[in-house]
Amino acid sequence: MAVDRPNSESEAGLVDACKRGDLGAFEHVYTIHSSRMKSIAFHLLGDRSDAEDAVQDAFLRIYRALAGFHGESGFQSWMYRILINCCYDAGRKRKRQPETELGFEHTAVSSNVPLQIELRRALAKIHSGHRMVFWLFEVEGFRHSEIGSILEIPEGTSRKWLFEAKRDLKRLLMEARA
Amino acid sequence: MKFECKDLERALEVPELMPDAREHARDCPGCRRELWVWAEMSRIASGLRDEWESPELWTRVRQSLDAEPKPKQVRRWDWRLMVGVAAALLIAASAALWYPMLPHPARPAQTDEAFLTDQALKQVEQAESSYAKSIEKLSHVAESKLQGTQAPLAAAYKEKLVMLDSAIAELKTTVDQNRFNAKLQAELAALYKEKQQTLQEILQREQKN
Repeated sequence: MAVDRPNSESEAGLVDACKRGDLGAFEHVYTIHSSRMKSIAFHLLGDRSDAEDAVQDAFLRIYRALAGFHGESGFQSWMYRILINCCYDAGRKRKRQPETELGFEHTAVSSNVPLQIELRRALAKIHSGHRMVFWLFEVEGFRHSEIGSILEIPEGTSRKWLFEAKRDLKRLLMEARA
Repeated sequence: MKFECKDLERALEVPELMPDAREHARDCPGCRRELWVWAEMSRIASGLRDEWESPELWTRVRQSLDAEPKPKQVRRWDWRLMVGVAAALLIAASAALWYPMLPHPARPAQTDEAFLTDQALKQVEQAESSYAKSIEKLSHVAESKLQGTQAPLAAAYKEKLVMLDSAIAELKTTVDQNRFNAKLQAELAALYKEKQQTLQEILQREQKN
């Protein structure tokens, strides 16, 4: 999928406005990123309501941390890193509540549904780091440089993990069909 | 390098080798199938994205934000500002050296005291030169800030600086004709001080904005 990438000048302006406490600018950031953030959170948490809670928490943390953001990494990478941390926190919290179900909601309807279900099942079985890189690259459309920045890994590692993810997924899909 | 089937795995990891892999796959059904499976995984994956409407989510975020204090503004020190501060400190140091050498303006000097000796004049001129250079540095920083704005206050500052520069130039011409006159040197020092204060005001205002 195509990823909206604001040019660095407009992004810098938006970040400065957010830093000044301009909630209109912050809402604009939300509008640009919330959909993809929900998708990532849903991928990590498997529940829409939890995903929305994680996104809400992420935006709150982003707002609080804005003053300390100096652009060492890109704004977008920084935001998604915060989101992923929120999801991990939510996941850890949920593990301490055994009564909560960890089931996935599958609502996508397309001709690829059986293949998508197989792919999801296979994804659940591979290394979590490889899975995250696969998701960010293949599903959310991030570049390796962006993934490296979000996950705080070298760009080369992102490429390698994507290859390993696809190699393992292929093997698992073949086994499931055999 | 001739691409062979055993190179395919490496090509899947290194995108630069992919054109060779595709070329090879034209005549190799096994590798062609492998590439197709690889591409098919990407195609199916692109449909895994979950999208749904959450009309209440921004309202929830907004309510949480409203309960938050405004983010603290962290001032980033740009290099021009730092140069300005350094120049201001240098000026202050130069002024501290220069002023004691001049007669105090509040105390009327005796006629013979109103003229500097050779040694004193040399010291005054050295101090003045250093002071003027420091002000010049400060001036570059402050004027670059003034040029970036059309505000009426900025225009007033620009005008004042032009007047001060003109007065300094005029007085320097007079001083050059009468270098031993301590009163003229003191007037020149006062003009420099006025310019220094004006430049510092400009920088302070810039810092506040």
